[in-house]
Amino acid sequence: MISVKGLHKTFHNARGSVEVLKGIDAEIADGEKVVIIGPSGSGKSTFLRCMNLLETPTLGHIIFDGQDITKKGTDIDKVRMQMGMVFQQFDLFPHMTVEENITLAPVMLKKESKEEARAHAYDLLKMVGLEDKAGSYPKQLSGGQQQRVAIVRALAMNPKMMLFDEPTSALDPEMVGEVLNVMERLADEGMTMAVVTHEMGFAKEVANRVLFVDGGQILEESTPDEFFSHPRNPRAQDFLSKILNT
Amino acid sequence: MNRSLSDRLYDALIYKDRWHYITNGLEYTIIITICALIIGLILGSMSAIVKTAYQNNKRNPGLAILNFIVSIYLTVIRGTPTVVQLMIMYFIIWQSGTSLEVAIAAFGINSGAYLAEVLRSGIQSVDRGQMEAGRSLGLSYPQTMWKIILPQAFKNVAPAIFNEFITLLKETSVAGYVGIQELTKGGDIIRSITYDAVPPLLIVALIYLVIVIGLTQILRVIERRLAQSDLR
Repeated sequence: MISVKGLHKTFHNARGSVEVLKGIDAEIADGEKVVIIGPSGSGKSTFLRCMNLLETPTLGHIIFDGQDITKKGTDIDKVRMQMGMVFQQFDLFPHMTVEENITLAPVMLKKESKEEARAHAYDLLKMVGLEDKAGSYPKQLSGGQQQRVAIVRALAMNPKMMLFDEPTSALDPEMVGEVLNVMERLADEGMTMAVVTHEMGFAKEVANRVLFVDGGQILEESTPDEFFSHPRNPRAQDFLSKILNT
Repeated sequence: MNRSLSDRLYDALIYKDRWHYITNGLEYTIIITICALIIGLILGSMSAIVKTAYQNNKRNPGLAILNFIVSIYLTVIRGTPTVVQLMIMYFIIWQSGTSLEVAIAAFGINSGAYLAEVLRSGIQSVDRGQMEAGRSLGLSYPQTMWKIILPQAFKNVAPAIFNEFITLLKETSVAGYVGIQELTKGGDIIRSITYDAVPPLLIVALIYLVIVIGLTQILRVIERRLAQSDLR
């Protein structure tokens, strides 16, 4: 589905430059669920955001569905239509109702007629248990509800793959479960997923593979069973001991 | 000058149907204001988009050129008096234009420069995540700008836009300089006929005041409507 080769990313600011990604190679196959974990500032979100070019890689290649999307002249909008993304802060459009949030892109990009998009939105909202919220504005919803709508908004484009950037980190603890449930369901239905998260339970239950990122590199790559019981890399061991003790 | 107020009002308005100067003048004032505001909003939005796009992507040469042009536009317009701009437009740049066309263009260009800064701050007040959310769905930059960023930006700066509207309305009072008989000029003509300045000028002032108060009330209603999506 997607393969990342030699990915480097350097940010430039007034005080100089910071190399956030120092050569990342990874591959995610069709239907695979990959969880990316690591300490904060490790570059894991940047890695994810490079996959749909929200961040432009400094070096390296990203091949999505057989197409090198880092090549000049790539129609990135076309690529992003097939790659849904869910953000930490939900980022729903506050001036639109839930239904308008969901139907905007499919209708504007001529994937569906207004009626089709509306019916599709209703089906998806039903799947996440929010069919009665179609006419509400985002601010009238709880964080968990907003994030479920954000997932639906991405799914409305029928993407081939979904990227999740710490989808539960901004939620109150009691709302984390409802969002993870939706993601688990999506995983069960065979969606290809790349998830940056601190939810180790989710990683254990759902992931096919765990990538441990620190210092802009993938330090360990293994199945969740192996990773959580026998981490090989010392920094991974250190990281796990810290988060599993709290 | 011991004539009664009613006599003076009669002379200023009723005698020989002089009130036409006021009503025709008001019509011009409103036409110029509304047309200029529309032009101003279009020019202002374009300038604001260029400025923000350039700030986010300073290495694009096309944007750099556009940004340079916009900067000159803003500096020149904001650095010179409106009346002077109006006269330059009428006597130098667009000699073939009618007074009305020239006035609409001049006031539109003028208010565009002021609205540009207002709208730029509006665009920047919209959370960065909104642009990313729009782009991540496959919408292009212009599509995201138009459907997602600008509506929120307009809402955030609606009071400032309305202030510009009110300023513009009052500024059109100098359109008499290029031969338009708008409201102020209309009142002034009555003054020059009757040799009595008090009734026509006070009436003109009162009409501006009533319109501005009315617009302010409308602004309140609009703000309440716009706040609909903020209700919990």
